[in-house]
Amino acid sequence: MRAGKEFLKGFWSENPVFRLVLGICPTLAVTTTAVNGLGMGLATTFVLVSSNMVISMIRSFIPKKIRIPAFIVTIATFVTIVDLVMNGYFHALHKSLGLFIPLIVVNCVILGRAEAFASKNPIWISIVDGFGMGFGFAISLTVIGAIRELLGNGTILNISIFGDSYQPLLLMIMPPGAFIVLGILLGLMNKVEIKIAERSGREPIISKAHDCSGCAIHRN
Amino acid sequence: MKEIFRLTLILTVITAVSAGVLAFVNQQTEQPIENALREEKMKALRNVLPPFDNELTEDSILIPDITGDTLEVFRGKKDGKINGVAFPVLSHDGYSGDIEFMVGVNLDGVIQGIEILTHAETPGLGAKIQSEDFKTQFKTRGINNPELWEVEKDGGVFKQITGATISSRAVTRAVYKGLKFYEKHINEITGGENTGYENKKGNKEKK
Amino acid sequence: MEDEMKDKGPGSGAEKREQAADKKKASIKPAKKKEAIEARFLVSSSPHIHDGQTTSGIMRLVIFALLPAALFSVYIFGISSLRVIIISICSALLFELVALRIMKRPVNVRDGSALLTGLLLALNLPPGSPWWLVVTGTFFAIVVAKQFFGGLGYNPFNPALIGRVVLVISFPVQMTKWIAPSKWGADAVTTATPLGRIAESLEALGHIEMEFGREEILNLLVGNRGGCLGEVSIILLLAGGLYLIVKKVISWHIPVTFIGSVWAMTGIFHLIDPAHYANPTFHVLTGGLFLGAIFMATDYVTSPMTPLGKIIFGAGCGVITVLIRLFGVYPEGVSFAILLMNAATPLIDRYTKQKVFGARAA
Repeated sequence: MRAGKEFLKGFWSENPVFRLVLGICPTLAVTTTAVNGLGMGLATTFVLVSSNMVISMIRSFIPKKIRIPAFIVTIATFVTIVDLVMNGYFHALHKSLGLFIPLIVVNCVILGRAEAFASKNPIWISIVDGFGMGFGFAISLTVIGAIRELLGNGTILNISIFGDSYQPLLLMIMPPGAFIVLGILLGLMNKVEIKIAERSGREPIISKAHDCSGCAIHRN
Repeated sequence: MKEIFRLTLILTVITAVSAGVLAFVNQQTEQPIENALREEKMKALRNVLPPFDNELTEDSILIPDITGDTLEVFRGKKDGKINGVAFPVLSHDGYSGDIEFMVGVNLDGVIQGIEILTHAETPGLGAKIQSEDFKTQFKTRGINNPELWEVEKDGGVFKQITGATISSRAVTRAVYKGLKFYEKHINEITGGENTGYENKKGNKEKK
Repeated sequence: MEDEMKDKGPGSGAEKREQAADKKKASIKPAKKKEAIEARFLVSSSPHIHDGQTTSGIMRLVIFALLPAALFSVYIFGISSLRVIIISICSALLFELVALRIMKRPVNVRDGSALLTGLLLALNLPPGSPWWLVVTGTFFAIVVAKQFFGGLGYNPFNPALIGRVVLVISFPVQMTKWIAPSKWGADAVTTATPLGRIAESLEALGHIEMEFGREEILNLLVGNRGGCLGEVSIILLLAGGLYLIVKKVISWHIPVTFIGSVWAMTGIFHLIDPAHYANPTFHVLTGGLFLGAIFMATDYVTSPMTPLGKIIFGAGCGVITVLIRLFGVYPEGVSFAILLMNAATPLIDRYTKQKVFGARAA
């Protein structure tokens, strides 16, 4: 029961991209195509699951004072493994993700889960948490990538959708496109969440940071 | 004081284990990575050279170009005789960042193909320098008539990609630069095996 | 649902909507209900003193001032220009209506703001733009740049310019397809804009090659050249601008400092190296400078409030425009410059706001 809950939270209620707004650097940078999004998502999932597992395993040996360096070394180890393995066996994908593979080290989702979850919970449940969060992250990136690829290139997974006469909206595969798609999806997700919460009579889970009152333009 | 030793010890153990794991993974992936990189290079070389049967990467020579960079020049051989030469060309004039590509020529300096290796041009625009339509127009072109070595917009013969004149121009001019490089170093590259080049070139100029 | 949300404290959606609705009426109505909440907004944005002008009244004056330039574009570019204007205005109104409906905001299309945005976007497009290009532009202008940010009065960036820039970035081929002035009936002949031409000669030859005599200046003033619909006729744009200044819809600060700084800066470069940098008068009269400086940079919502702020804003626009024109990859930089300065507007406002008399210096 608990495992199910910990697994599913990564998809909706605590989705790393659309709810926690963590790991935004890779989210914005590599989602130019659905494949890139998926590749980055799965690489991150691997690191997340492995680091959650190891950190949960050694959590009782690590003194509080050095936990952050210990976590980072663990995470960096797995990221380097991913980097090497991908370079050897998925060379093309490795090339298109480029610098962003080593940068998984500084992805806030991973250190965040290590600090907030794996260092306080037993191994199995930490692994489940890693899978849930990782898949939630991967799906979010794939969706953003698919939308950007569709509008910016007229294809999804390299399959032409709109035909040759479609004039691609290049903006979408450039950096601003990432912000626009992320923003629209965030808004839609909040909207749906409000509707669901209304129907089931509970409080909607919407971060205060997501409304406009915090924005300088509106406070002026 | 005692605590600091304990903390140091624990961190040392963690980093040592991590180093051990990484050493193992590195050892395991060393060969596949090398293969992947080689395969990538070979794929480009196969596309720009006439059919060959020698081990290209073991038969390459290093030649410095005008800027002082050292270029790795590959010689394709069939039945022991050189039938094509491929070398990398770098352009600094791209729309964003450098464009690196491989140019393949036959012994007469006529282009057999070009292949883009790395670039950072705009997706959907400049990135179209990778399209076959753009690349094939360089095939069978030689170094004669330097004034033709421009994109159409600048009065040359090469079709620029619509909306990406800068990228097209960068590639076109760099390919020409590459041919110049080949012409200059032809004897070093072919080791004097090629004697027909100068004559043929002379003939063409007479026409 | 509305009531539920109102109780949720500051910043909830319903409140924002209310705020937007108030702004739309462009008046400071005495708060009839929920005075506590309303009071928060009364101090939030200017103008505080009201002279009876309404949003729709201002919009009507601006549209009126733009009409000569718009009609001239139809005269000089023919039916292809008229088509762009009609498609742009209709699609802008449609998007506004649909967006307001979906977002459950008060439907107030009649304030003329969407019509003005549609017209401005059309004047920023090349004549003969295909319909899907225009509709994509108005979608980004109205829905993304305006309604997503809270509707009229809350857009940090000028909507019409966002529409234009999205198109320039996404469809560089279509957005640089200019047709020569042909009047009615004649076939459309493609041409280049004066700025595009000097950029090209600089690329190909390494120096600028152009003739710039009395005849060329006259052509530029009248508008007998290739370019976006509304940017070609300097005289008519100037007339519209003077009309707006006389009617006190806009002040002189932004247009004068914007155009002035472009002239001064290109002048300095021209003096240093005339082979690479064109004549300052040429720079001032070409591109979308007058259209941008008079009608886009002066947008109330996205430009500073105080005279000093406006001068900083205008000069900043001019400097960025020149930097893009001379050193950037695009031949024209007016729209990018205005958008960048739009982003700086809250900051400029913060530092140029007049201190309350007697208040301690910060």
